[in-house]
Amino acid sequence: MATLNDLKISEVKLSEGEGGKWGMVIDQDICTGCQACVAACAMENNISFVGEEDSGYGRSMHWIRIERFWEGEYPEVKMTPNQPMLCQQCGSAPCEPVCPAFATVHSQAEKLNLQVYNRCVGTRYCANNCPYQVRSFNWRDYKRPEPLANQLNPDVTVRRRGVMEKCTFCIQRIHKAQDQAKAEGREVMDGEFTTACAQACPANAITFGRTDDPRSLVSQLAKRRGHGAKHLEELGTLPNVTYFKGG
Amino acid sequence: MIKRFFDWLKQPLGLIAVGIVFLALFSIAAYGLYTTQQSPEQPIQFPHKTHVAFGIQCLYCHPGASKGPSAGLPSQAKCWACHNQIQKTQTSALLAPLKDAVLSGQSIEWVPVAIVPDFVQFNHRAHIAAGKNCEDCHGDVSQMNIAENPQVMNMGWCLNCHVESAGEDQEKLVKLTDCGTCHY
Repeated sequence: MATLNDLKISEVKLSEGEGGKWGMVIDQDICTGCQACVAACAMENNISFVGEEDSGYGRSMHWIRIERFWEGEYPEVKMTPNQPMLCQQCGSAPCEPVCPAFATVHSQAEKLNLQVYNRCVGTRYCANNCPYQVRSFNWRDYKRPEPLANQLNPDVTVRRRGVMEKCTFCIQRIHKAQDQAKAEGREVMDGEFTTACAQACPANAITFGRTDDPRSLVSQLAKRRGHGAKHLEELGTLPNVTYFKGG
Repeated sequence: MIKRFFDWLKQPLGLIAVGIVFLALFSIAAYGLYTTQQSPEQPIQFPHKTHVAFGIQCLYCHPGASKGPSAGLPSQAKCWACHNQIQKTQTSALLAPLKDAVLSGQSIEWVPVAIVPDFVQFNHRAHIAAGKNCEDCHGDVSQMNIAENPQVMNMGWCLNCHVESAGEDQEKLVKLTDCGTCHY
């Protein structure tokens, strides 16, 4: 009987994942770290403002954040390019198998990593198992002082206390574009819509689209700049976000 | 002290008291349940039955249903287009709120009865395009007076229809039973 040791490394299938459908390309060379994507994401997705105190406890809620790193010792400090970090929509997501309530599941139709708020019981296992640290938990029902409540996006659920949340690749925009295309009897065109972060980016560092379509802009960009990196790919998470650096 | 209280309860008078308390609690619960099943109070006692009997289509007052997510509730401008030509509008007490709303420019605050929770994203257009009729989900409104919701709109009810309409088409079934289709 063959044991695990008999298998060659190349034969070991690290993870049984899904092929991607929607994907993102982020060019770190042109990202200025202006945080426009962070603000746009918060506006689009009804993300709460946790305030100073809870933020101090590390409970700030962002679906996308700009990571900064430094190289070298003071005073010769060199800043590496800004790194926008968001849910990588893993094809084989570590957050999914640990959820006891099946609140984070893989969408078969859109190949996205979903968070079903009404199922979530707030165990926070998923956030602890996420190697990218991109999930945020609603520790409280954060107040939205008037008139901020008027800018809530009606297409997105307003989450309540005790629920985990994360980037959805603006699935509400995906559905809206699909609905519009269906009403007009055509397919969704590349570049017809994009995520809030990509739309807000003044440097066009973020590109969103279909990675399974070789003619789409994301696929073309990935092909033209062949040295794209996927974060923590060695964990077998099959991320759907590609980063470019040092072009 | 507690023992004396239980001894007192075992007497005929005590048993009657227990019975009365039980009946009171039961009727409060029953009344509470009953009130949740009632249609809400509307600003105008709008009779759907009468309007449908005149041959007015659902989409005339709720045109959003064929175009987008929300079917919409009509503004008084839509009511007034017909009602300002009807003599009864000026005299009827039931229609006084409409007349007031038009004269003062205040909007009529209709209360929606067919509602889904915030975590459900429903789109009318897709359902109309899939060949559903209004009465498939909203009941026979042509026989209703004040708007009511005869269905229990829960997820099982939605999914039954989704699975049924997908039939043998596996791709359609995946799309229609995907969590992300309605919850995001």
